[in-house]
Amino acid sequence: MDSDAILSSSEDMHDANDVESDEEGFYSDENEVASDYNTDDDDVDDYVIEEDEDGINMIQARRPENNYIVLKELDIKERQEDDITSVSSVLSISRAASTILLRYYNWNVSEVHEAWFADEEKVRKTVGLLPGTVVQFAKPRELMCGICFEAFPRSRLKSADCGHPFCFECWEGYIRTSINDGPGCLMLRCPDPSCGAAVGQDMINIFACDDDRCKYSKYLLRSFVEDNKKTKWCPAPGCEHAVNYVGDNENYDVSCLCSYDFCWNCTEETHRPVDCNTVRLWILKNSAESENMNWILANSKPCPKCKRPIEKNQGCMHMTCSPACKFEFCWLCLGAWSDHGERTGGFYACNRYEAAKQEGVYDEAERRREMAKNSLERYTHYYERWASNQLSRQKALVDLHQMQTVNMEKLSEIQCQPESQLKFLSDAWQQIVECRRVLKWTYAYGYYLTEHENAKKQFFEYLQGEAESGLERLHQCAEKELLPFLNADGPSREFIEFHTKLAGLTAVTKSYFENLVRALENHLSDVGCHQAGSLATSSKNGTSKGKGGRGKETSRAGGSSRN
Amino acid sequence: MQASRARLFKEYKEVQREKVADPDIQLVCDDSNIFKWTALIKGPSETPFEGGIFQLAFAVPEQYPLQPPQVRFLTKIFHPNVHFKTGEICLDILKNAWSPAWTLQSVCRAIIALMAHPEPDSPLNCDSGNLLRAGDIKGYHSMARMYTRLAAMPKKG
Ligand SMILES: [Zn+2]
Ligand SMILES: [Zn+2]
Ligand SMILES: [Zn+2]
Ligand SMILES: [Zn+2]
Ligand SMILES: [Zn+2]
Ligand SMILES: [Zn+2]
Repeated sequence: MDSDAILSSSEDMHDANDVESDEEGFYSDENEVASDYNTDDDDVDDYVIEEDEDGINMIQARRPENNYIVLKELDIKERQEDDITSVSSVLSISRAASTILLRYYNWNVSEVHEAWFADEEKVRKTVGLLPGTVVQFAKPRELMCGICFEAFPRSRLKSADCGHPFCFECWEGYIRTSINDGPGCLMLRCPDPSCGAAVGQDMINIFACDDDRCKYSKYLLRSFVEDNKKTKWCPAPGCEHAVNYVGDNENYDVSCLCSYDFCWNCTEETHRPVDCNTVRLWILKNSAESENMNWILANSKPCPKCKRPIEKNQGCMHMTCSPACKFEFCWLCLGAWSDHGERTGGFYACNRYEAAKQEGVYDEAERRREMAKNSLERYTHYYERWASNQLSRQKALVDLHQMQTVNMEKLSEIQCQPESQLKFLSDAWQQIVECRRVLKWTYAYGYYLTEHENAKKQFFEYLQGEAESGLERLHQCAEKELLPFLNADGPSREFIEFHTKLAGLTAVTKSYFENLVRALENHLSDVGCHQAGSLATSSKNGTSKGKGGRGKETSRAGGSSRN
Repeated sequence: MQASRARLFKEYKEVQREKVADPDIQLVCDDSNIFKWTALIKGPSETPFEGGIFQLAFAVPEQYPLQPPQVRFLTKIFHPNVHFKTGEICLDILKNAWSPAWTLQSVCRAIIALMAHPEPDSPLNCDSGNLLRAGDIKGYHSMARMYTRLAAMPKKG
């Protein structure tokens, strides 16, 4: 047990170094994108809200240009057809030959052209497109099929471009076997072992049954997506859309029509502002530690005061024990909530990990044991926050859906307000969903920030803490303070106040998270001019009025909620 | 089933006719089952298998010739691409590179070629493959030769 833990501690250090070196380049590439993102916060149009079939709104930052296109099956077919037609007409070859060429060159039209015009003969040879019949026969009335060895009249035999004759039945068998063996059928060659002439879709269409023709087309379609370096399938289970990426390898966030958001580069779910490499390391780490971490995912913990088990069934981290005890505590650190929500002393510290102080003199073995223990504790700290935010986001997605499909209509009736005036509710929930996602990934980021980057670490933890406490207030307000209005008999004045408060919290939280995202995308390079201490001005108001909460560029993290 | 039977019968007739044409291969169809064949092949000259007679067993599937026959050595042979215990053969044309235009006869020819040109990088017999990869041609030769003598040469007297 001990030796395992020690191993994992040295691996951590290694991980952290890897990230370090990789991130430098990544973030410097990202600088431009980061500054393009939401430069004027007051412009509501900055966010494009689309409604998909499921009624779940997606909130998505508008890009200067669209750097990806979501393709439905029909779009994929159409593009494929277009490419086949274009190559076929430019090279004056059949569509079947054009398909063979394109598949060989991973559906890259310009690569096909380049190779072909550089050395047509060589290309023809490699892909098996013979310029003409190679096998010449004197003109006997009958020829022998090269598979069944029976003699057939010429009219009952067929060959690929090479001229090797096979009877219809043998062609059918040959093609059926190949298609049922898998996508290799796209590279089918003449049955004659010495030949190599390509057998294309024209032959398939003559000899395959409907089912097999259909399979062949599916393989061809799959190949168009999977062999194409710029296209990937949406990884959401059951989704059949593909995403064509046309950006310059900078911002890989894409949003599929099925409402799944993912990183096109690594196909994990969207993880902005954390880079793909950190995400990869983090996911590897999680699977390596999964057995140690199962207990974290339990959704009941003992109340820190009365020890009764309290179950978590809401999204926000603010827990209240049963009526007898009523102790309010934080799900994550089990500390009193009074130390959290309104930042006492200007410092929200639930997000920070502090290694146990190492006092006194340790012998070497003791020191290593302590380090190993800390390493696991440290990972546990980050993992629990990562996982809790993930769960919390899932819960929020359900709540958002419930809000849009049921509660807004219900509230509209009770409060006698048109639904259009209740949009602040779905706005709030969308903000919560997005912020939970960002917050979750910042914990992977934090895990890989090394100890010696102390100034950066402090700055990061400060921004993360601000963002997190803002989000907890927003989430709690949207979740709990709404309840009385949903169960009311009629309109109430307090609902107007609730509206103002929730809209304000939404705006404040949005601006906190924008600061956090921007800072991480700049790899905390602002740390020189913004020391965490100097920024720690209190922002005790969660109820800033209306637009007042919108953070301006000048106010950065600290004073973004004005009254 | 009918097609494979017809094709095998054609091969059978061809074998009867060509018996003398290829003195290195002697293909025999099982008396009661046209899907079972055995072959006797001569070890190629200038290899450690020279002078040996090796017996192969063919199990032909019903989808033949669309699917390849299963072939294994019945005679013990020390060769990197033949499993020393089971006689299983690692040869691309018996797997993914199979073509229905191949025949049992041409498979035998391919196996003879494999005996002369082993592929130490895809070994079924690691000892043998390792010797070759280490460049120990002499070691490989003497082992292979010993087994040829032990298992593939008619006992004198
Ligand atoms: Zn035929
Ligand atoms: Zn051919
Ligand atoms: Zn999708
Ligand atoms: Zn990624
Ligand atoms: Zn309690
Ligand atoms: Zn806490």
